[in-house]
Amino acid sequence: MDLSLYAREGEQEFVELTRSFVRKSVQPMFGGDAPDGNLDMVPSILDTAFEVGLAASPCSGMPGFEYGIWGTSADNPTGVRISATLLWAVAEACAGIAMNLHVQGLASRVITSSKGGLPDPPARVAIALQEGHALPGYRTLLGKGGGPDEGIGTRALSAKTGWVITGSKSFVYGMEGPDAFLVFCRIAGNQGGEKLGCLLVPAGATGLEVRDVGGRTGIRACGLSHLVLNEVKVASEHHLSSRDAFPLMGQAVCLHWLGISAMAAGNASGALKAAREYAATRYQGGAMIGEHPAVRKLLALSEARVEAALALLLQTAGFACGNTDFLRRCAIAKLMTTDWAFSAVTDALQVFGGYGYMEDYGMEKRLRDAVVLKTAAGSRNYLETFISDAGREDIR
Amino acid sequence: MKPEALDLQARMDALRPGNASKHLDFFGKLLVDNREMTIWDHDTRLLPAGARIWRRRARDFARRYIRPDALRADSQPREYDPGPIVSQAARKGFQTLLLALPLGTAFPGSYFLKSASFQVAVVAEEFAVESGGIALLLMAHHLGCAPLLMSGHVPTILRHLLPLYARTLRGRPEIMAFAITEPGAGSDVEETEGGAEARLVTTARQVDGGFVINGRKCFISDGAIADKVTLFAKLQGEGLESWTCFLIEKGMEGYSIGRQEHKLGQRAADASELILDDVRVPQRNVVGRLRSGWANNRNVLNYSRPVVGAMALGHARGAFERALEFCRSTVLGGKRLIDYQDVQIELADMIVKLWSARALIWHSCSQFRCYQSASAAAKVAASDISFEVCTRAMEIMGDYGYLENHGAESLWRDSRLTQIYEGTNQINRLAVIEHQWAEISGRCGG
Repeated sequence: MDLSLYAREGEQEFVELTRSFVRKSVQPMFGGDAPDGNLDMVPSILDTAFEVGLAASPCSGMPGFEYGIWGTSADNPTGVRISATLLWAVAEACAGIAMNLHVQGLASRVITSSKGGLPDPPARVAIALQEGHALPGYRTLLGKGGGPDEGIGTRALSAKTGWVITGSKSFVYGMEGPDAFLVFCRIAGNQGGEKLGCLLVPAGATGLEVRDVGGRTGIRACGLSHLVLNEVKVASEHHLSSRDAFPLMGQAVCLHWLGISAMAAGNASGALKAAREYAATRYQGGAMIGEHPAVRKLLALSEARVEAALALLLQTAGFACGNTDFLRRCAIAKLMTTDWAFSAVTDALQVFGGYGYMEDYGMEKRLRDAVVLKTAAGSRNYLETFISDAGREDIR
Repeated sequence: MKPEALDLQARMDALRPGNASKHLDFFGKLLVDNREMTIWDHDTRLLPAGARIWRRRARDFARRYIRPDALRADSQPREYDPGPIVSQAARKGFQTLLLALPLGTAFPGSYFLKSASFQVAVVAEEFAVESGGIALLLMAHHLGCAPLLMSGHVPTILRHLLPLYARTLRGRPEIMAFAITEPGAGSDVEETEGGAEARLVTTARQVDGGFVINGRKCFISDGAIADKVTLFAKLQGEGLESWTCFLIEKGMEGYSIGRQEHKLGQRAADASELILDDVRVPQRNVVGRLRSGWANNRNVLNYSRPVVGAMALGHARGAFERALEFCRSTVLGGKRLIDYQDVQIELADMIVKLWSARALIWHSCSQFRCYQSASAAAKVAASDISFEVCTRAMEIMGDYGYLENHGAESLWRDSRLTQIYEGTNQINRLAVIEHQWAEISGRCGG
């Protein structure tokens, strides 16, 4: 699948820049024996991504501030579409590297779109959206209900010079060694009730514990940790918005799902390309395996699913406008594209026969990455409930 | 609780089948089974007495000996020493199940009324619940032994299989492996059309007193640790139709282990390359007749595919059990996950799939002679179901599903191999059609 065919006028140069980055910086990761590539190279790859402007930053002087993945240009459907396309292109080579760029962009987007932003934002930020085993439900994200058990139990209390945060966040993806974490938590409102706040917690803050999650199936090129916040003090200027932060969180969740969809589809597209090449060179049963009907069927279904994922992804990006319908559409995109992409990868792996199961051809890594993208940040059950709740809310 | 709510609860209790059936007459009550019993217990009761005993023994063994090793064997396969678990399994009789008592350890009733594979399949499911790698490590031994039995060649059985079993029963187990796959021929050696055009390199040349074999085999489960290997080679100057099975023994000059693969799962069992460089094999190590290898191989697959299906089922059951435990212990919105109806529907879907896979597996090896279409169908259905159920188990656990210490992800990785080995599922589908061709093509019908 040639991504260039889908790039509109003006988008082509971004795609080419990304491809050049992938060729020069990402692909060399995979020369050795390690199943996930040489992970020691990740920091330098990400440095390059910042230099070329692919990684977004909340600092206005950095190259990726505007046109990086989920940079400030992603405030309209065209910008969202471009970021999603670039994530796809990176994930064709390595979904883990793409995840780094995606979550960095997500955090940058939240900071830059909050009213007033931050006077001196840190360069590398991770974003903590989740507590426990699932994201908040639909009504919680709209600020219409949901108790602490349903998603956001972390609280910030007002103190003399800022806020004191207590709680925990789980499954926080981000570049290794971020400067700070963006934490969504409940805070006391002016009229006595509670509202959602978004606070920037410096990585070295007292009381902040960053716990490694331990071994995991895939997306290993990107850091993943749980946060425990035990009376962590945050200065008042690190409170991102005096307004209720539910819209900010909703926007972040939308882009998170869209980004995961783009990475899943990109990963599948890479798997399909590899399977096609293998099928054209491997002999079996008197013919190239690509000639066998069973293999042709696998490749055709894989291709159809990748195309369907791309179509839904681009269509959803076109609806980016920050309203609640976008939230529902992004949930649908995450549900379907990750499922199609997963099936496309497993079919592509099957083309390799026994070699697909071994580390040599990188197909097993793609499958591991695909299942994580399908499961992370809202798996099927959660998304089905979310979409159903969104539909019911529309009727109300 | 409000009085009206209490009333509703009482009415719901009265409507539950267990209470409602009290209103039936005596004979009506006799026809209702409302016992609170696990599916495992229900299914075990269906089995003949011998298989029932092996199922219980296997579950106990898996929990006691396999479970503690599972994580380590998966994460550090190169450091894992298979010796103790093999010895323990042999001591308990799990490594001699291809023959009935007193020559082996299978119970005669289940062995002759079902098939030689049946009790092995029942055991395989239980082992695979705990660890795909250790299950394969133990089960690949039966696959290695199978050509000795399936050759039907009495001298081979007397010369090789019976002494091997006797030594194992006396506490000196040997590990067997089965070698058909070659670097240029994987699926080819598992179906007819591919076989006719396969590019095989492993060749046996007849010499005085035996054969000299040259070539390579790859992806051989237990290849690196096997004491003996049933290995298939074509005769020099001939094609696959000349395939002959030879018994290769560790220590034979020219026989060595090459590359060991790094696999996605089932890591406790090695997948190794076997290198044969002028290996001299005595005549007594020819398994069965010359040129009977292809037929032997195909029949071995008929008996082994239900076992692979059972292993796949075990992986899925293991993942399901871990997901179930997660749903019992995780609270969301003040309720346990298992108390949500959408979660219950998901779990029910998984139960239905597991049950249907087990039914087909047991059906496929429920008569004395396993046959190609049923065996292949069981393998395809069970392995596809397994991968789907394992994926769903991970999904139901959310992000915890892909963490290694929650157990489901390793079984998910294990399950994916069952769609590939013992013939890819595409090849197995063709095997179903080949065997039923007379019916499919309309040559025979009911």
